[in-house]
Amino acid sequence: MTTLLYTHPVFLEHDTGFGHPECPARLTAILNALKTAPFAALEWRDAPAAATEQLTRIHPSKYVERVLSRIPKQGYYAMDGDTIVSPRSGEAALRAAGAVCAAVDAVLAGEADNAFCAVRPPGHHAEPDQAMGFCVFGNVAIGAAQARAVHGLERIAAIDFDVHHGNGTQTAFERDPGYLYISTHQNHLYPGTGRRDERGVGNIINVPLSAGSGSDELRLAWQQEIEPALRAFQPQLILISAGFDAHYLDPLAELNFSEDDYEWLTQGILAVAADCCAGRVVSVLEGGYNLPALAASTAVHVKALMEAPRAV
Amino acid sequence: MYEFLHYQVRDAMTADPITIRTDTRLREVEELFEAHDFNGVPVVDPHQRLLGILTKFDLLKAFCFDAHAMVPRYDEIMEQTAATVMTHDPVSVSPQLPLSRLLQKLVEMRTKSLPVVDGGRLVGIIAREDVLRALRRATATPAVPTHEEPQS
Repeated sequence: MTTLLYTHPVFLEHDTGFGHPECPARLTAILNALKTAPFAALEWRDAPAAATEQLTRIHPSKYVERVLSRIPKQGYYAMDGDTIVSPRSGEAALRAAGAVCAAVDAVLAGEADNAFCAVRPPGHHAEPDQAMGFCVFGNVAIGAAQARAVHGLERIAAIDFDVHHGNGTQTAFERDPGYLYISTHQNHLYPGTGRRDERGVGNIINVPLSAGSGSDELRLAWQQEIEPALRAFQPQLILISAGFDAHYLDPLAELNFSEDDYEWLTQGILAVAADCCAGRVVSVLEGGYNLPALAASTAVHVKALMEAPRAV
Repeated sequence: MYEFLHYQVRDAMTADPITIRTDTRLREVEELFEAHDFNGVPVVDPHQRLLGILTKFDLLKAFCFDAHAMVPRYDEIMEQTAATVMTHDPVSVSPQLPLSRLLQKLVEMRTKSLPVVDGGRLVGIIAREDVLRALRRATATPAVPTHEEPQS
């Protein structure tokens, strides 16, 4: 088994300003955990910058130009109330999207079974024409478009277990039956989308969870809704929007997932991947704002990727 | 304790309390809470008619997670007006209400204070502390001794 780890030093230079929860220390905590002995078999790769043509499969070229032109030479620029960029943020955003494309290329070329992209800024809130919720480019949606455009895949699934709904990925996917988007998230939370009745063309599965939900509700949702929908879709590649802010210690929400839940869920996804798509999974970091919880949760997630069952 | 049964709300309430208007900014409300030991402040119109009450819980409610922002924005929220978070049409009591009944109501509602309204006009506010003080006052003079008690 080979698991690739895509990251880049510039992700630590995406400065969001004093006290911002989506901070470089998040990635430092994760990378420190992934540098320990149990992860020695990870193959680290530098995240390349996404090419414009990769971005414009999801974002209008005017949006890409506008975003990059607003990266300040010094200081900060607020793309919205939550989404702060600084001089190195443009390159970070390009490499975050590029990491997912490169990981998709590598996994589909058979260079590895799966990959984890330890990137910042996150991506699942980025609408085609609007940066929001700490996100600039729709990293996972861009990776899905890469799998289709370059590798000719016809069925690509994205599972998003970040505590916030991935409105941007949903927007990118909702009119296209070749994409499946499945999200668990806390209801009535930012950004307000993700209701059950948002179903796209039957290819959007939103499973909002009430504040306080934890292990039991997650497992029920997986068994009753998520796994059956995923298996029925027969994906050729599974992308994961791996946000760890549904953790019981996270300060931005009120779900109660634990490390065990993240391990269990990851193993479940990998089992479906083994049956449907030769184990091909590309997971991409989204949120998670309690640093020890984030590091521990990411560690069990990546460990599960490294120990994925062999495809049958 | 018998004397307590004679008390009415008007005997224990804070008369002519500080009030705010619907357009008072939450920043000013927070300053009021900081300066005084209020549980809540009544919201009135120019004729002193009670429109609502804004409690510390109402103020906290403005900072709850919602769909508008990933992280609540302090300065933006503090610029909102009282009307956005106040409790409308709050339960109020009459100044003639026996204090014993008021006590019962506070406990049952688990509320910390209630506005006092007379003839449609806000005339006071009555809080747990006021009732406790009235209980102490009502029992400060010794009751008629029972015959079991040793005579001093």
